[in-house]
Amino acid sequence: MEKAVKGALIAAGAAFIFIMLILPLATVIVYAFRQGLETFWQAVSEPYTLKALQLTLLTTVIALIVNTVFGIAASWAITRYHFKGRGLLTTLIDIPFSISPVIAGLTFILVFGRIGWAYPFLQAHDIKIVFAVPGIVLATIFVTFPFVSREMIPLMQSRGTDEEEAAALMGASWFTIYRKITFPHIKWSLLYGIILCTARAMGEFGAVSVVSGHLRGKTNTLPLHVEILFNEFHLTQAFAVSGILVVIAVIVLIVRNIVEYKLEKGDER
Amino acid sequence: MGRVKAKGIIPGFGISMGITVSMLSLIVLIPLISVFLNMRGMTFAEFWHVITDKQLVSAYKISLGCSALAASINAVFGVLLAWILTRYQFPGRRLLDGFIELPFALPTAVAGIALTTLYSDKGWVGSLFARAGIKISYTPAGITIAMIFIGIPFVVRSVQPVLEKIDPKCEEAAAMLGAGKSRTFFKVILPEIFPAALTGFGLAFARSIGEYGSVVFIAGNIPYKTQIAPVLIVSKLEQFNYAAATSIALIMILFAFILLFGLNLIQARIVARSGGGE
Amino acid sequence: MYVELKSIYKYFGDFKASDDVSFSIEKGKLVGLLGPSGSGKTTILRMIAGLEAPDSGDIFVDGKRINGIPAAKRGIGFVFQNYALFRYMNVFDNIAFGLEIQKRDKKYIRSRVGEMISLIGLTGLEKRFPYQLSGGQKQRVAFARALAPNPQLLMLDEPFAAIDAKVRKELRSWLRETIAKVGITSIFVTHDQDEAIEVADEIIITNLGKVIQSGSPAEIYQNPRAPFVARFIGESAEIENYSVFKGFFPVDGFERAFIRPEFVGLFELGTAQYANSAEEGIVEDVFFRGGEMELRVNVKGIRVISRRSPAELEMQVGEKVSVIVYRLYLFNDSEVKLVENEGLIDREPVFI
Repeated sequence: MEKAVKGALIAAGAAFIFIMLILPLATVIVYAFRQGLETFWQAVSEPYTLKALQLTLLTTVIALIVNTVFGIAASWAITRYHFKGRGLLTTLIDIPFSISPVIAGLTFILVFGRIGWAYPFLQAHDIKIVFAVPGIVLATIFVTFPFVSREMIPLMQSRGTDEEEAAALMGASWFTIYRKITFPHIKWSLLYGIILCTARAMGEFGAVSVVSGHLRGKTNTLPLHVEILFNEFHLTQAFAVSGILVVIAVIVLIVRNIVEYKLEKGDER
Repeated sequence: MGRVKAKGIIPGFGISMGITVSMLSLIVLIPLISVFLNMRGMTFAEFWHVITDKQLVSAYKISLGCSALAASINAVFGVLLAWILTRYQFPGRRLLDGFIELPFALPTAVAGIALTTLYSDKGWVGSLFARAGIKISYTPAGITIAMIFIGIPFVVRSVQPVLEKIDPKCEEAAAMLGAGKSRTFFKVILPEIFPAALTGFGLAFARSIGEYGSVVFIAGNIPYKTQIAPVLIVSKLEQFNYAAATSIALIMILFAFILLFGLNLIQARIVARSGGGE
Repeated sequence: MYVELKSIYKYFGDFKASDDVSFSIEKGKLVGLLGPSGSGKTTILRMIAGLEAPDSGDIFVDGKRINGIPAAKRGIGFVFQNYALFRYMNVFDNIAFGLEIQKRDKKYIRSRVGEMISLIGLTGLEKRFPYQLSGGQKQRVAFARALAPNPQLLMLDEPFAAIDAKVRKELRSWLRETIAKVGITSIFVTHDQDEAIEVADEIIITNLGKVIQSGSPAEIYQNPRAPFVARFIGESAEIENYSVFKGFFPVDGFERAFIRPEFVGLFELGTAQYANSAEEGIVEDVFFRGGEMELRVNVKGIRVISRRSPAELEMQVGEKVSVIVYRLYLFNDSEVKLVENEGLIDREPVFI
């Protein structure tokens, strides 16, 4: 009886995962290659695709640097000190998570777009943000903003401040403390945060779609390029370009599992 | 004992705080406040007129209905998955566990076109249903499926750590007292994981309402039928109707906050009742 | 005086953590700050170390006012309650950390750390990581780490709290001996009276943010000057009609008294030396405590506790015995007064 229940539960869970997650992933791969390797390669190496890839990479690198700096500073400030408004600060950092990416894009249009309060200034200095690369970068930073800090805060919180306090008492500088005491503990979480941030930054669609203006070869990222190809009924090409993004997704999953393993091992200490 | 002074002796307070607050303000807070600033030219009557527009109301209904349904399905399967992943050993368990995060890793647009293709009349799954005369892509059913897809990790990852932490002695004690397996589950384990499942439900719900990329393709954007709120914002923007777009955004932000606030409230109640949790 | 605190006040919001705290410590002494949790003892330690700043008052070390000096420059070694060993460094690197911060040369560091490791008796475990050490070993490493940079003052926050009972006893005498060997002025915080009495040269008792009494362990044990101290140190029962005992008379302003087990002598009926001062009591309970027997005896409706060696004749529950109360601590809200049994004081000068 118990065995039957166990079997039934596992089967139900596995079926759910198969239909909801594995089939969509398989769809991408099968459709990408269904007209042969050559068509796949053509779609991937097409100039517009390469341009989109370039912009995606640029955006991702900038978002990554900004959010890593922010993540390190925020996790340090929030977990190493007690101050009034700490809870509020933590909540504010999480806002981008609870807001639709479309709204994220909208906010930048409302600041920098034609009706935005910063528009006269931008106009006077001939700076373009909305419907241009800076807008895409800003929107991407916005939606991935909490990723790095969120991975580190719980870990640093649960570990307490004893070791840092002991080191500070002996006169160690911030950099020494971070390098020798904090970093060895959080490095895997930091890496995981960076990986998640990368995945989301490369794959962001809603926010970027709103601020991009869809200019092929200029403000097209890979996901936007996928959309255009799909809407123009170039199914195979759309899935081929998606293939690039799937590779990244798979890397993310693998790294996540390694990190989880490392964190479990780190618990011994 | 009492509160430690803000600065303490650990160095770096000024700089870390400075970076945190200034970046948060520049990237998140100031742009968000602009949404509200943008409303200032509008009277309340005008605002009310915009947000009660028939097309908008139907979009809220579709968004909320599909999200609620998807989050509920995720709550059930999320608990089930967390259970089999923590309690059972079977071949492929690690692989299954690894797949849970796929919706976080896979770009939403890719998920969107994959789901649309999969559930269209000619897709692998869609064609099976099409024979029975059921359409999935471009109907609320399709929207719900896309929302289930993006919501899966939330419930599983909320419940899993709680299940891992439940003292097996509790279950053993229940079994010793003669409680059957199912009774033990409903009386001992379910109350323990309920707050976590609720959190997961809330997060999945909030995410589904705001989701754009994976839903927009499968929804098809047919007014009054499959038009969801985020897609409507985009179409209003394309018509340069900023007032309408901002109004919908405001309603959505408000709803997200009410949802998360309400969940926190319920959770605080539960924790208080069970005597401080842990 | 080597360490001096003068009228220290410290508030955490409305909570008075230090309320006019003043005391001084001689060079080379090992001092225990003893008090219940929330009594403000840890706050005092943290203020001396510079981890907290007093709201007002002065702290002097070696004649210098150190209030404004940052913690790292005070030359204080601190052993944290949970050791706070650096998890990602081995024993050697943990102990060397403070010296490396001071940018000492490598050769000196190696010899100093070696010296410390042999002092704490962990030679051969240099490459171990904290998670590979037992509680007692961690404690020793934390001690060596604090001591390595040659501080002028050593502070220990509840140094034995995280160690299990058996090792704790051993570690207490080890710590006492080692500190004596190094000769460093040390202050430790504890809520455990046995620990303070056993380890410290001098005890400072705190309660509700105030220093209640300070002195050597024997002095504090024998002459508590406040009811709090009498209640907190040693084992004592409170009684009210103390004048029902033979040889004790009511004293104005003192309604109640403390009685300690060692104040009560038990004898087989009729064998007491001072028969005139002896009371008759009935044994209510007998507990075997390993090295000694604890007896609860009812004397005129008052229950007193006494101890006997198991080597003496056994007493049974229900047995009638002779009880002599040697002395009592009379007390009121603020004072404690030691009174002896007048029947036992030499007969001649009895003035009533």
